[in-house]
Amino acid sequence: MIELKDLSYVRFGTSDLKDAESFATKCLGLQVGDQADKAIYLRSDDRAHTLCYFEGNPTEQTVGFEVEDETKLNAAAATLDQLGHTVHAGTPTECGLRKVKAFIGFKDPTGNQIELVVGPERSGKRYFASRDAGITGFSHVGLSTTDPVRDERFWTQVCNARVSDRIGDVALMRVNAIHHTIALAPGPGPGVHHVNHQVESNDDVLRSFYYLSDQRVPIVFGPGRHPTSGARFLYFRGPDGMVFEYSVGVDEIEDEETHRPRSFGFEPSSLCMWGSKRNW
Amino acid sequence: MTSTNLSAASVRCPLTQLCYVRLAIQTPQPAAAFATDVLGLQHVPNNLQPFLYRSDQRYYTLCLATSAERSSIGIEISDEPELDRIAEALIRDGFRAREATKDQCAQRFVRRALIVEDATGNEIDLVLRPALSGRRYFPSRDAGVTGLQGVGLRSRAIKDDLKFWTAILGAKVTDRVGEITYLGIDQMHHRVVLHPSDKAGLVYVSFGVESLDALMQNNYFAEERQIKVLHGPGREPASGQMFVRFAGPEGYVFSYGYGLGCVEPNHRPRQFTLEASSLCEWGSQCTDIVELQPALAR
Repeated sequence: MIELKDLSYVRFGTSDLKDAESFATKCLGLQVGDQADKAIYLRSDDRAHTLCYFEGNPTEQTVGFEVEDETKLNAAAATLDQLGHTVHAGTPTECGLRKVKAFIGFKDPTGNQIELVVGPERSGKRYFASRDAGITGFSHVGLSTTDPVRDERFWTQVCNARVSDRIGDVALMRVNAIHHTIALAPGPGPGVHHVNHQVESNDDVLRSFYYLSDQRVPIVFGPGRHPTSGARFLYFRGPDGMVFEYSVGVDEIEDEETHRPRSFGFEPSSLCMWGSKRNW
Repeated sequence: MTSTNLSAASVRCPLTQLCYVRLAIQTPQPAAAFATDVLGLQHVPNNLQPFLYRSDQRYYTLCLATSAERSSIGIEISDEPELDRIAEALIRDGFRAREATKDQCAQRFVRRALIVEDATGNEIDLVLRPALSGRRYFPSRDAGVTGLQGVGLRSRAIKDDLKFWTAILGAKVTDRVGEITYLGIDQMHHRVVLHPSDKAGLVYVSFGVESLDALMQNNYFAEERQIKVLHGPGREPASGQMFVRFAGPEGYVFSYGYGLGCVEPNHRPRQFTLEASSLCEWGSQCTDIVELQPALAR
């Protein structure tokens, strides 16, 4: 079994690096950690980067997960290979671009580009936000799925993800105590559905609602509260149509042994218990 | 009364609670529907006019009074001697005060009332022994209302109104935003807020709700029914209270609030700058209520 330790980063291609930087710093509130020729590395916590924009096609969207060490990475590569996934071992240059010691790349059953990484860099300098959004860290991703049941099987049986709750057939899965690190979202094809950052407080969610509205950033869902994780949230649109989320108060699953996933109906109130309507 | 009691009474605020709001209403039916269908209050099942509504264990906290010329609020006074002392002090300082008739007391469900006016001309009932109900409160919809919580009052004579509220009635100034003055009568940050204005009347009537969830659910409830949200969802930095203020019938404004803070006994009034962020730290801007638009108040 492939043991995912944590979410590491997302990498997005963009046709307008300047625009992406402007959004990431002025709206999202991340810190520029490093700037390369054709890429920008953004920090949201004590890691060297958790979001990377690079010059490229916006459909190039990659999610990186950390695994324990290179032995585990090699075992993961063998497992995936056996299951018929094409596995790409990262070259030293590619590792440099990701600020990791080693990685492999593959596609999940939907076709999402996934990377398993070893030794993602931390930064000695503490995270200093570019605006007072209250971000405490990069926390989870929504992954598109063309078949929720099949993809749940992949993440829970090939990898170590556990289902925390389901909305209809769609699973919210955890790899540690946090309610979910991977949220599947039905869609027509592969892609990152949304990128979540945690913020300090409920106040931060509401402050950003007004701040981003003033900046004319399209708010696509919320402010609201997920009945599944208990998190208060705000979803808004960034460059190339990517949706970002702030949230606070995500439950932790403390009874790992005995937790049973709850089933919520596939209906709006399962996504927001306050009554906000999703429009994306 | 023993001397110990006297000294205790002299430090305790003689104002016990904000009991009720009587709204002068022209057309009762739409207002009555609003009270139950939107606010979610419980209609007091009797055949009396005016219409009475409950929000907590009290017999009523909202009255829709078709016969009243103007709106008023009811404040409970701790005891008879205090009420007599206040009556004397008000007359001495030139405030209007009249003893309510038996009928007026019966309408208000109180044993005795002094109907007084602040310097602005807001009508305030100072009452003894307001009625509670033995039956528990059963709301008409799941709005999470926990009770009548406070009122905003217009003031066109802030100095004299403050004398009325503090020197005579014994309320405490807890904080100020510009000249907007929060007044406390119990351990809560405020029950009455005076808003400088050019006229008399209520700025808003606020009902407490049980949680942030209830507050936000009510926000979307209002939005869905195209009830105009005038301010919020927001959060007052002074009191910590999160609020949604929305338009009610006949120009009245109602508010739901959650998280109203307490004040320490040795709290000293703070002065906040007169700007929008002093009334809402989240960044909501008030529309339509001049008294809540600092840019216009300057």
